[in-house]
Amino acid sequence: MTLVATAPVAKRRTLIRIPFTLVFGGTIIALSTVVAFFPSLFAPYDPVAMDYNALLQAPTIAHPFGTDSFGRDVLSRVIHAYTVDMQIAVFATLFPFVFGTFIGALVGYAGGWVNALFGRVVDAIITFPFLVLVIAIVAVLGPGLINMYVAVSVVGWVFYARLVATEVQVQKRLDYADSGRAMGYRPLRIIFLHLLPNAITPALVYWMTDMALAILLGSSLGYLGLGAQPPIAEWGVQIADGKNFMNTAWWISVFPGVAIVVTGLGFSLVGDGLAELLRTKK
Amino acid sequence: MLLIPYIFRRILQLIPTFAFIIIVVFILVRLLPGDPASAILGDRAIDANVDRINHELGLDQPVFVQFLVFVKSIATGNLGNSIVLKIPVVDLIAQRMPVTLMLTLMAAIIALILALPLAFLAALQRDKLADNAIRGVFQVGLSMPVFYLGIILLTVFGAGLGWFPVGGYGEGFLDHVHHLILPALTLALSLAAILMRNLRAAIIGVVGAEYVDFARAKGLRPRLIMIRHVLRNALISTVTLFGLSIGTLLGGAVITETVFAIPGAGRLMIDSIYGRDYPVVQGMTLALAVCVSLTFLLTDIVQAYLDPRVAR
Amino acid sequence: MKIVTIAAIAAALLLGVSSSAIAVERGGILTYARYADSLFLDPVLNDANVDIWILSNLYDTLLLPTDDGKGVQPGLATDWKVSEDGLTVTLTLRDGIKFSDGSPITGEDVKWSLERAAVPDTTWQFLVASIASIATEGNTVTITLAHPDPAFISALTVFNTAIMPKALFEAEAGASDADKAKAFAEHPVGSGPFMFSSWERGSTMKLLKNPYYWDKGEDGAALPYLDGVTFEVIPDDATRILRLQSGEVDGAELIPYARVDELEASDNLNMEMYPSTRVQYISMNVRQQVNGTDNPLANPKVRQALNYATNKEAIIQIVTHGVGTQLTSFMSTATPMHTGTDPLYPYDIEKAKALMAEAGFPDGFSTSLLVLAGNQDEIGIGTAVQQMWAAIGVKLELQQVDNATRTQQYRDGTMNMRVAAWTDDIADPNEITSYFAYSPTIDALHSGWKNDEADKLYEASQSEIDPAKRAEEYARIQEIFNTEGPTVPLYETPYPVALSKTTMGFNQIPLGNNIFRAAWLDK
Repeated sequence: MTLVATAPVAKRRTLIRIPFTLVFGGTIIALSTVVAFFPSLFAPYDPVAMDYNALLQAPTIAHPFGTDSFGRDVLSRVIHAYTVDMQIAVFATLFPFVFGTFIGALVGYAGGWVNALFGRVVDAIITFPFLVLVIAIVAVLGPGLINMYVAVSVVGWVFYARLVATEVQVQKRLDYADSGRAMGYRPLRIIFLHLLPNAITPALVYWMTDMALAILLGSSLGYLGLGAQPPIAEWGVQIADGKNFMNTAWWISVFPGVAIVVTGLGFSLVGDGLAELLRTKK
Repeated sequence: MLLIPYIFRRILQLIPTFAFIIIVVFILVRLLPGDPASAILGDRAIDANVDRINHELGLDQPVFVQFLVFVKSIATGNLGNSIVLKIPVVDLIAQRMPVTLMLTLMAAIIALILALPLAFLAALQRDKLADNAIRGVFQVGLSMPVFYLGIILLTVFGAGLGWFPVGGYGEGFLDHVHHLILPALTLALSLAAILMRNLRAAIIGVVGAEYVDFARAKGLRPRLIMIRHVLRNALISTVTLFGLSIGTLLGGAVITETVFAIPGAGRLMIDSIYGRDYPVVQGMTLALAVCVSLTFLLTDIVQAYLDPRVAR
Repeated sequence: MKIVTIAAIAAALLLGVSSSAIAVERGGILTYARYADSLFLDPVLNDANVDIWILSNLYDTLLLPTDDGKGVQPGLATDWKVSEDGLTVTLTLRDGIKFSDGSPITGEDVKWSLERAAVPDTTWQFLVASIASIATEGNTVTITLAHPDPAFISALTVFNTAIMPKALFEAEAGASDADKAKAFAEHPVGSGPFMFSSWERGSTMKLLKNPYYWDKGEDGAALPYLDGVTFEVIPDDATRILRLQSGEVDGAELIPYARVDELEASDNLNMEMYPSTRVQYISMNVRQQVNGTDNPLANPKVRQALNYATNKEAIIQIVTHGVGTQLTSFMSTATPMHTGTDPLYPYDIEKAKALMAEAGFPDGFSTSLLVLAGNQDEIGIGTAVQQMWAAIGVKLELQQVDNATRTQQYRDGTMNMRVAAWTDDIADPNEITSYFAYSPTIDALHSGWKNDEADKLYEASQSEIDPAKRAEEYARIQEIFNTEGPTVPLYETPYPVALSKTTMGFNQIPLGNNIFRAAWLDK
């Protein structure tokens, strides 16, 4: 492996073209954010209002997404769930991404015993059964979203840290890092201005996937009763609620599922687009 | 070869990790509200019965005495008895761990089979139809909760087409494999999506890197470039992610195991947490820790092979 | 002996009605899908329904419950007699009865088994707490009671009085009874219609026909008809149903209410709704103070207001999809001596508001409700009452917790309310009344509720041998509890079980026991 490049510089284009995936994904996320902030503008009904005379109704003009087993309007619940799920997507992953990337960059650059110690921490955290942790946190602090964020963050940052550390370790052996050192830059400058932009791509791509995973985790925890608490509308819990009605009232779970796919797609595209942008910037 | 001392060192390093996990899990299960007697008795938890059960279990002893008993049980290798099921924890581990290991292994293999070729195809056909189709399908797979996906697979391929049994674990090795294909696929899909996306991005990154241009300029054949340079470099972060994900898969197959009625470790673990079955939670945590650590060791070795500098 | 004959006729009628149409077939293994595995197959020391509900297939009792779960019929004993003063019970053991290993059942086995059931501080000891001494001579078992016990005959049909082989049990390794029980329960031997064969924990349990079972089928040969029963553990509701639909199992228990209609319409399944003693309710903490603050729920008017503000008919539709029926007392209609014909607290929001105002809470208050994490029924109930009670200003916070946390909270008296369910274990009102209304047992569902009259009536009823008088006592207890008790009664539901069209003669009695002794497969 001696085929090592000199310091990456922009070479093909001087003007940075914004990738289409970023535009498209960004639009989805921007729209989702608007809905998340002002759900009442879009939802036709109160998301928690029950209509005992309209239980499990198939989609109609009045209820385009049908009603659930409580007679609540599924469309309104899907819309109001944007508030919660966009929050989950961001809050459950932001800390792990930022903290994990920071630690990962330092560890990867330092190497040696720091890296070895870090390895043990990673082992201990990943090896520790996640559900024991979630249940313990929920049992001590009570169920709900905040505690879910805490539980996810305690474990989640390790993924980013390890991804970034591995990449930084590779990058720092490349010539441009050596030249940075030769020029007398301080390590922090080398790490965050030179190495990280090149090492961050996997973490960034994973982050965007992780957002969809976080929403899904809400669903798994909903299945176990540890996620968002009733009557809050949340896609994952909505899908878990619709499980008994897959044959008879598919609309309860399918529409929130579509919302997860679309939002997840938005985040994924943004991730791919950002990765591309970082590459062209080089 | 640096690899052998490296492996040796890594194994030694596992010991403090295990010690840490044992202590944390011991404390954590005791922090949970309620005790085994309340979990078992529920409505019928009359004080006299609760006291009798706690006394039988030695839970009326001071915590450090309980810890010593636990450490002793590890040292003697029997890990104590299950409070709820009344049988030795080692027996439970011997029954349940292999099931989950096999499920995870099959899921990992399926995920790799799906992710690797498709990531290459997607990366090389970047932004073309094939790429978009692959990414779209994986996005849907990634967005489906396992209990939902599991039921759909069971309905279509189990009850509908009759290719696979509807849940259960079967008897005999081949029957086990047959029973585990659908659950493994269920578990594999989201892992495959993660790996595919990561690898695709990595390949695109590496293909664009200068040293590949350099290799091309040197006149190396494209296939050689692909294997020697692109694959090696692109795989580094994918292997990292793979190792981490296997760790969470091993402990997190609970819902898949529940949906497919597989008597695995994940289900036992969650039942034991809910049942406050301290010895089982402790013993299973330890067993899982051993398995996950070995997976990590394996991925580290693969990484050291892909890039020997990592081992240093 | 009047009761005996009535019970025998009732049993004969029920058996006759259920299987006269087609001739029974013998042989075959019936596979039954359960939602959870058993934990501990010891009749005395077990604590869970997953054990209780199948134990009678392995372990026989001196007397058996009738198919409707309310009466008593002969079992290992052919007849029984209670003395005039109610202090002596005499039973006659059937001739030639054997355990499934072929060894004879002796008077000593009976004496030892009943004495073991009566050891204090076990969960079920209260059922036979009245036993003073047991003597056996030949085929005659004489039980002397410390006080007259009107529920004692029923208790002899309950799982914890099952007759076990003393010699085999005592030969097990272990110093204490508990240790021996652990070893014995790994390969139990009893005299039920089936015998234990093998058990893969968390997956399958196999039972085989007991060749020494005493009872005869309608074809004159020995029961059971089946060669065996296999239990499969399939925790996920959807998978359990799918497995039944694909023909891989013959029956599946605990069908979610949401799917009852769908399966009823299915051509190749029988959707059975077995009458049960299961009641669903919300129980409250009614102590004057909870966690150091005044507790609105201590006021009976507030509790009545919550009751009137609860639209039970709507909850029955939402949660049970019409399967449940409104409660007319705190105990189910399938419980002996149940009284009441009209639903309790018909929905009346105006009355609820008025009561809240009278109680000094015209603007309501905030409180919380524990629901079992992941339990769709309880979450449904919680979500519905949260909405309903908002109409009288009660702000309800739902807290999903696991079973142990919940138990801890109500034992400590720190919870406000919880959703709960109850199923009787004995065909007598004494068990449910003891837990619900008699404060010394568990503070009336751990609520802190106490009514001196109810306590006295319950104590009197425990040794009242005149059935009419005893019924009066229970009627009064129900009246008291239903008007000022610490619960919001919601509904009672049958046991929803789906069976393949070829599965015949299976029964689940109101106490929950799964009875396979007369089950057969129409091949």
